[in-house]
Amino acid sequence: MTTATSKTHRRPPFWRDVRVLRVVGQIVALVAVALAARWFLTNLITNLNRSGIRTDFGFLTQPTQFTIPYFTTFNARSPVWQMVLVGVKNTLLVGFLGILMASVVGLVVGIARLSTNWLAARLATVFVEFFRNIPPLVVIIFFGAAVFTFGPLPILQEGIEITLPGSSNNLLLLSNDQWGIPGLVSQGNVGAYLVVLAVGLAVAVGLWVWRTRVNISTGAPDHRVLWFVGALLLFAVVGYLVLGGPFSIEWPSLSENRRRIETGFAMNWGFMALTGALGLYTASHIAEIIRGSIQAVPKGQTEASSALALRGFQRYRFVILPQALRIAVPPVINQFLNLVKNTSLGLAVAYAELAALTQTSIGNGRPAVQSIVVMMAVYLAFSLSISLILNVVNRRLQLVTR
Amino acid sequence: MTASAERAPVLPEGSALGWIKERLFRNVWSGAVTVVLIPVLIYVGYRAFVFIFINGQWAAVSRNLTNFIMGRYPRDQTWRLVAQMMLLALAFGAGAGTGSGTARDKAEEAGLVYVPPTLAGTLRRFWSLIAFVLVLLVMAGSTGPWLVAGAAVVLGYVGWQSWRLPRSLRMLSWLATALLLLAGFQVVSGTDGMAWLPVALAVAFAVWLVVPVERLQAVMRPVVSLVASLAAAAVVFGVYQVIAFPGIGWDQWSGMHLTLWWSAIVSALAFPVGLLLALARRSNLPALRYLATTYIELIRGVPLITLLFMGQFILGFMLPAGTNLSSISRSIAAGTLFTAAYLAEIVRGGLQSLPPGQAEAGQALGMAPTTIMRKIVLPQALRAVIPAMVGQFISLFKDSSLLFIINVTEFLSVRGIVHAQPDFRVIAHAETLVFVAVGYWAFAFAMSRESQRLERRLGIGER
Repeated sequence: MTTATSKTHRRPPFWRDVRVLRVVGQIVALVAVALAARWFLTNLITNLNRSGIRTDFGFLTQPTQFTIPYFTTFNARSPVWQMVLVGVKNTLLVGFLGILMASVVGLVVGIARLSTNWLAARLATVFVEFFRNIPPLVVIIFFGAAVFTFGPLPILQEGIEITLPGSSNNLLLLSNDQWGIPGLVSQGNVGAYLVVLAVGLAVAVGLWVWRTRVNISTGAPDHRVLWFVGALLLFAVVGYLVLGGPFSIEWPSLSENRRRIETGFAMNWGFMALTGALGLYTASHIAEIIRGSIQAVPKGQTEASSALALRGFQRYRFVILPQALRIAVPPVINQFLNLVKNTSLGLAVAYAELAALTQTSIGNGRPAVQSIVVMMAVYLAFSLSISLILNVVNRRLQLVTR
Repeated sequence: MTASAERAPVLPEGSALGWIKERLFRNVWSGAVTVVLIPVLIYVGYRAFVFIFINGQWAAVSRNLTNFIMGRYPRDQTWRLVAQMMLLALAFGAGAGTGSGTARDKAEEAGLVYVPPTLAGTLRRFWSLIAFVLVLLVMAGSTGPWLVAGAAVVLGYVGWQSWRLPRSLRMLSWLATALLLLAGFQVVSGTDGMAWLPVALAVAFAVWLVVPVERLQAVMRPVVSLVASLAAAAVVFGVYQVIAFPGIGWDQWSGMHLTLWWSAIVSALAFPVGLLLALARRSNLPALRYLATTYIELIRGVPLITLLFMGQFILGFMLPAGTNLSSISRSIAAGTLFTAAYLAEIVRGGLQSLPPGQAEAGQALGMAPTTIMRKIVLPQALRAVIPAMVGQFISLFKDSSLLFIINVTEFLSVRGIVHAQPDFRVIAHAETLVFVAVGYWAFAFAMSRESQRLERRLGIGER
């Protein structure tokens, strides 16, 4: 204090002045990064030009020159951007189903680990410790190839048909590399129907909020689930009838040579292996999160609910799980993000997701740099949207807990 | 630990029937679960038994054990791997022994009783690894591997005896451990060529940290540190020029050997980068903060495989024409860039978990910002996130299997060599895959156990 107020106080020389150093440090950092980036980019462009490789994105409209197995609408003349779309669609399909599977299995196993049933708890522990400590790639390859050679599944050389009783329609078709289930086919006005469904969803959410408010202000039972599902069903059924059946069910059937499934929703083996493997792998991580979150709920909560004479199931349903899931949601969403990123391992089982298609495309002479940039941009978009959801959820949860 | 004790129901003492009733048929639901699970368990157990002991064609594994361990590594250089094993066994033993000695000293200082680790406890801690090694030895079916493993165990035990060293020799003992690790690495990789550079950098950095400059004038401090570091680096360079022991570079490593070293090398390279990124992200200089944040979020948003593709297809073009990096070096670069971003987030968590009072106390004592960071903030922040970092290293170890996709012959891709042999072209695909899975599992499981143990020992979550 004395030196600061004294008249002899001088600013330190500029090479020791924090205010100068801050600015200089930042400029140095920026210049260093810019120079490094410039060096890499100059090298890249020089080298590419010397090798005669194009550096524009024109290849996106050129034909891919390869076909994708099981995708009949896609042929060698389809442009590369359509291939990217197919990859995005397949990635999202696996991501969505895998997340569903991982959530359900993870929740069940996580609760089972804390079960009073010794057998269930032990099995859950074995499941978690097994899948958590094996590379997902090994699990995928295992599901993709090895499970047939010794697993409990019979080897399906001929193909098994399970028909709907009383008709000739196939309910389920099992063949060696494809499973077929009934699919939905658009009759032209699916778009309108989707709009109806979206409106229905909005109304249902509105009803949910309304019932919650009624419950909070009057104490009347909310029956939220009933209202929600009821409204959604109403819109779905009425919309379907009004639009005169926007889609129809297509039963799976075999092609002429009985080698592949032509109609319906055909799942090829790579798809099932990828979804199943990622589902179980991620489930083991989610189970650990769920277990940790349940244990993180203070013990007094359990004791208090016991004191209120709640039974085991009621304790879980009304006291423990609501609090535990709140703790679990952010890390679980992170696991979902990991699952979506791990779908890029689909190329190990030749499943036509984005990374596999990009690799094939590069192998077919498409420029690598631009292809990889496109692929990274798509994954980044997925990740950022999931992060966005995570942030919104986090904010909401924090508001509620306070 | 405590949770299970709390959940343990009151049992009629010593009654098996009581146990069954309480733990398997406590109520209707529990009973139903038991009734469903038991037949499933019996069936799965039966299938597993048949596969492992009756139908499994394990010759595909047992005849290829050398391939699984060292893959395409030149066979006439196997002695280097054996020497490496011996040196590393000694180093790990010495590290554990010195650590135990240090813990003993600290306990003595605090007037506590130090409980040394027991043999049974150590076996239990690493049972998955020990079991895997035993399976390997039994499958090998010859005496050579047993002798090697026995020698490694003996050397590990010899190293462990370093706990007996007097306290004044602890620093020296740590140094010896580090040198043994380095020697273990370079007995394979060699000390010729550019091998001196990373060692010189590390030594120079260590010297920079430990040279006592506090008593010097402020202007002189950086000069003295710099001179001392440069001198140390020059000494390292000189020593390496004298030794110049030719080796087998990592471009020729493969199999499980490569998998383990790839993970170790990437971890070692990614840690300092991640630390710097975390500091930059927490910095109050906006330019640094934005650069670090952008980098971290970009990398964390894409799968590792896209970075490996980048390394494979693009990195070569980004360097001056004529530079030729092997695909292993390129994958190490990609893995480092990837892991550094995740480590940065973990370290940032540690930095954020530290109460601001710690740094403020340092400021109140008039410490320089770098000293506060080095002596107060980082030791505590890093200690708090050790388990999370181990978790990241496990994840990296598992991710090393992705090298399979870019055609590097690591542990998983050795299956390609095996199934190219005429005997195993179409059969035993499941057997080799199960073996590989068990191999990964043994290491990852042991590491995750260690990280849980560390978490308990460091008392994280209890403060």
